[in-house]
Amino acid sequence: MPEPHHLLRVRTNLGPLHISAKMTLSAPWTILFGPSGSGKSSILRAACGLIPSADVQFTQPLPEPQSLDRIPAYRRNLAYAPQGAVLFPHLTVRQNVSFATDIRHQPHAASADAALELFQLTPLAHRLPRDLSGGERQRVNLARAFAVPAPHLILLDEPFTGVDRSLRDVLLPLMQQFVTQQGIPVLSVTHDIEEALILNAEVFRLEHGTIIDQGPASQVLAEERARMLNLLNA
Amino acid sequence: MDFAALGLTLRLASLTTLCLLLLATPLAAWIATGHTLPRRIAQAAVALPLVLPPTVLGFYLLIGLGPATALGRTLITLLGHPLAFTFWGLLIGSMIYSLPFAVQPLIVAFASVDPPTIEVARVLGASPWTVFRRITLPLSRASFLTAAVLTFAHTVGEFGVVLMIGGDIPGVTRTLSISIYDQVQELNYSAANLTAAALVALSFLALLIVYARGNRRSELA
Repeated sequence: MPEPHHLLRVRTNLGPLHISAKMTLSAPWTILFGPSGSGKSSILRAACGLIPSADVQFTQPLPEPQSLDRIPAYRRNLAYAPQGAVLFPHLTVRQNVSFATDIRHQPHAASADAALELFQLTPLAHRLPRDLSGGERQRVNLARAFAVPAPHLILLDEPFTGVDRSLRDVLLPLMQQFVTQQGIPVLSVTHDIEEALILNAEVFRLEHGTIIDQGPASQVLAEERARMLNLLNA
Repeated sequence: MDFAALGLTLRLASLTTLCLLLLATPLAAWIATGHTLPRRIAQAAVALPLVLPPTVLGFYLLIGLGPATALGRTLITLLGHPLAFTFWGLLIGSMIYSLPFAVQPLIVAFASVDPPTIEVARVLGASPWTVFRRITLPLSRASFLTAAVLTFAHTVGEFGVVLMIGGDIPGVTRTLSISIYDQVQELNYSAANLTAAALVALSFLALLIVYARGNRRSELA
């Protein structure tokens, strides 16, 4: 199967920060890497349609390129796990995860069950968010995004905040396998070097709203390490 | 005890509460979703009955619904009689008088739904109406009870507006509070005491429901 090429271009101004980023999502998993305040989360929010003034272009292999600017957030058909595990407080874990399928009138959808299973949430299915630990909430946040039926793109903002390392190391390959099978590209925002290295994902490095480097994780982050070493030796 | 007045008061308060919640929900939803000038003007107008003397409100309603205004003349033509001194005139007066008690708790509830919660629902495919139905409304359930109880209790206790727009017609517009006034005028203090005690009990019960629910809600949060 030829690898799909998705292209995401985002341009927006947020106060003093001018964001202009163009990313080819060639690998199934792409990581947007950079220090806090560099505009990573804003790029995801703009892609989702949560920054009204942003200029967003999204190109899929099929059908033709499209500008997302005039398409409201709810019609963009994206999956999104925001930073800080924003859950629906009045819904159980299962209802949170099946939110996207429920509102599409697909009750008991297989995608919701699969996502609960993938993130090891089946035993917690009937709990309310207030009864979950931080790490559990974050897993529900991720599962809810992975349960969106056939999205164009999955956008994850700091996906492993609060999740302990050993569980992250178990989940990452499973998530990667899941999206590779489904053929859905993932754009994940992180400042965690390990996360990028485990996946050996395509990495875009962002500083002050501009992409300053790109390539496989081992390459991009090796350069960063070398630069840090140089700074230390100087 | 004036049972005709009691029945009328309960009927008026129930109908006022029902009609006001239907009207207040979209109004509060609109006011809560932005900071534009028209919204602030609407919010101030909604709160006006809180600060106006009830007699002022009643006076303008009496004039507004009467033959002196175009609206009043239209209503008289449509209905065949003036609305003043009827139950329906009383209902309109009560709705305006209690409007802030229905709208204000709902504005607070709708505005306090966390914006990120709404944003993620939208990205996951929920239209504005779906967001309102599945996120905003369920998260505001306790405030609907508050709005209903406050509206009901406030309507039960109104006096000035009722007297101005409804007069004091037994069985038609004589509510409990007016009944007490009449009983005192007739020096029938024991009857007035009984009616007044009933009103105190009713109002206390209403507030108890609101605060009991309010505390349970804060425990959940």
